[in-house]
Amino acid sequence: MTGDLDLARMRRDRHRKVVDALDAQGLTAAVLLGQPAVAYAVGARAPAADAARAAQQRMIAIVTADGEAPHLYTAFPEGVPPELPADHVHDPLPMEWPEGASALLEVLPDGPIALDEYTMPLHAALRGRQITDATAILGACKVVKTADELECIRRAQAINERAMVTVEPFVAPGVRGTELSGVFLGRIFELGASANTVDPIWQRMPRRIADGPFSVTGDVVFPTPTTSRPFAAGDVIWVDTGIDYEGYASDFGCTFVVGGPERRHRDQAARWREIVDRCLDVLKPGATAGDLVRAASAGDGRHPWLPHLYLAHGIGTNSAEMPLVGTDIGDEFDDALVLAPGMVLVFEPVVWDDGNSGFRAEEIVAVTDHGYEHLSARDGGPRG
Amino acid sequence: MAEGLVRALDEMARQNVDVLVLGREGNARFVSGATRLWLAGTRPFAPGCVVVRETGAVHLMSATDFGVPAEIPPARLYPMSWNPANIMGAVAAIPGVSDARRIGVDGLTPLFEQLFTATFPDVQLADGEAVMRTARRVKSPAEIARIRAAISVAEDAFGVAVGALRPGVREIELKGVFEERMCQRDTTTPAFEGAFCVVEGDRPIRRLVSDRVIADGDLVAMRAGVLLDGWEGSLARTRSCGQQRAEHGDRLSRWHAAWTPLVDRCRAGALVGDLRATAGVSVHGVGLGAEALEDGSSLEPGMVVQLELEANGVLGADTLLIGDGRAQGLTAFPYAAGGD
Repeated sequence: MTGDLDLARMRRDRHRKVVDALDAQGLTAAVLLGQPAVAYAVGARAPAADAARAAQQRMIAIVTADGEAPHLYTAFPEGVPPELPADHVHDPLPMEWPEGASALLEVLPDGPIALDEYTMPLHAALRGRQITDATAILGACKVVKTADELECIRRAQAINERAMVTVEPFVAPGVRGTELSGVFLGRIFELGASANTVDPIWQRMPRRIADGPFSVTGDVVFPTPTTSRPFAAGDVIWVDTGIDYEGYASDFGCTFVVGGPERRHRDQAARWREIVDRCLDVLKPGATAGDLVRAASAGDGRHPWLPHLYLAHGIGTNSAEMPLVGTDIGDEFDDALVLAPGMVLVFEPVVWDDGNSGFRAEEIVAVTDHGYEHLSARDGGPRG
Repeated sequence: MAEGLVRALDEMARQNVDVLVLGREGNARFVSGATRLWLAGTRPFAPGCVVVRETGAVHLMSATDFGVPAEIPPARLYPMSWNPANIMGAVAAIPGVSDARRIGVDGLTPLFEQLFTATFPDVQLADGEAVMRTARRVKSPAEIARIRAAISVAEDAFGVAVGALRPGVREIELKGVFEERMCQRDTTTPAFEGAFCVVEGDRPIRRLVSDRVIADGDLVAMRAGVLLDGWEGSLARTRSCGQQRAEHGDRLSRWHAAWTPLVDRCRAGALVGDLRATAGVSVHGVGLGAEALEDGSSLEPGMVVQLELEANGVLGADTLLIGDGRAQGLTAFPYAAGGD
């Protein structure tokens, strides 16, 4: 982890982008309740928590188009960026209650505002006021990363990968997924993770889809929550984990075969590599998400990814964000999405041989001026 | 029918809500009993679960029946989607939804508000969170048993973290120790990421751990919790690392002197806002995760609350079951010897 990282510069650059976007749309302010949005626009931190607690202890940010420092409402003073002026840091506003919503209303600037999400008391309090969707505005700011943001993702991913090196020797007959989670969570914090963001997934994959669990889409079921059922020799385990470093997510996917991969597993991994390589071959500024979809599908005409997910997704202060590639938003969306330097793609195609299970891994790259660079290790497998 | 669903349907009838569209995981779990993937942090509203009062049916956004109780047949599952229009289409196709006059939602985004208005132009949107909050407020004996089980796991992992509190250990390592032990007890979801923070004089106790090395004689505020099958068990204690300083023993004693009468005030009829008016006190409901309690609400028998007191650089928190007399402590973890 030797790359250059200047957190104050990163916060300054992001804030400027949001201010410029508000100005361009003629908005006076963005009111942000979503914690990944607050993390992006302000750089503030709160302890990771279950969704219910996170909602009750949420930080709120007001970013104004005049370019002044944002206002932050938080219960966590040690998570406030040091450069934020003291008179811009306020006690938290309880957005679960009408009193908190009214208090927020009193400090909102006049004029047209953008907002990312409502609690129901806030929805009632803002009735009649013209509201623009802040998620779309922030999405446009977030999609192209600065060098500092790329470094945060690189570091998050490196921590995740190093923790997985610790986990790997434990993958043996008799081990339970919950135990693997324990090893993983026991390791990430000492490696420097700010938080864990998703219940680590170690899913035993069936040989054929019909073996279950029941699939609503008819395709491979993934992901399912971790259980304490012991793994057996020959089990194929799809792994998916994500941690946070300075507000940025990692996304690690790989396939373990308990007892070690056999030839068919290596063959599946090689086909997965070919899919990603076909995508990387066409990946450069100006290429579209549609180009990636067509490159990935060239093998047998079938989309080699899970239909309710994607071929690739972006990553940042959200674990999945724009650019989304190959979703059910549709072909037109993919063809209109033009890739640019600074965009990040997490490729997660799937190779599935019904009757012989399958292979899934994830690989992260950033688009550069002339092509791409890796933010993750180059390969997700095959592994023990 | 699951008891949570019965209570939600009763409350829907009382608040005149025909359909609930729920985005909050605790609400979805309360009516469905389903285990879905746990994610940390807030998430924007999306229709993850639908309850129709007319049919009494729960419909879930899930690509599989894995983790979904048998009462919810596969026909009542709809897959997740990155296309919000597809999700609204799936919701609108649920039997009974198109006849609704009032739909309760537990949150909104500008996008989903627009989609609701376009899909159901004659429907009135209501506060579904208020419905769910009321339905979830008083716990059944079975729910209390699940909270007790969660506390037991939390206390076990907490004990291992306390055991690891030795001079030279870093704050963040204790967080890892707690979570590793939690997983060894087959629970991989924390209620929140633990805080194991050295007390710095009279400054407010930090909630974010650092990589600070804990030294002999440091006073350390520890707060951690788990979700066992979605139910919360959490606690907080303050302990000295190594040799306890006399000054810290005094602090712990003073904390304890304030704690006992505070617990005594947590009785049926007590106003939540009155409890919170005491400096350093926080109170929230405990159930499927933390449950919000309004200042103006009163405690009543069957409620389970987390009572926390931060005073003189000492932090402690217990889970209490409100009954007819003095609240029953559900937390058994010992306080520090000679203090807290």
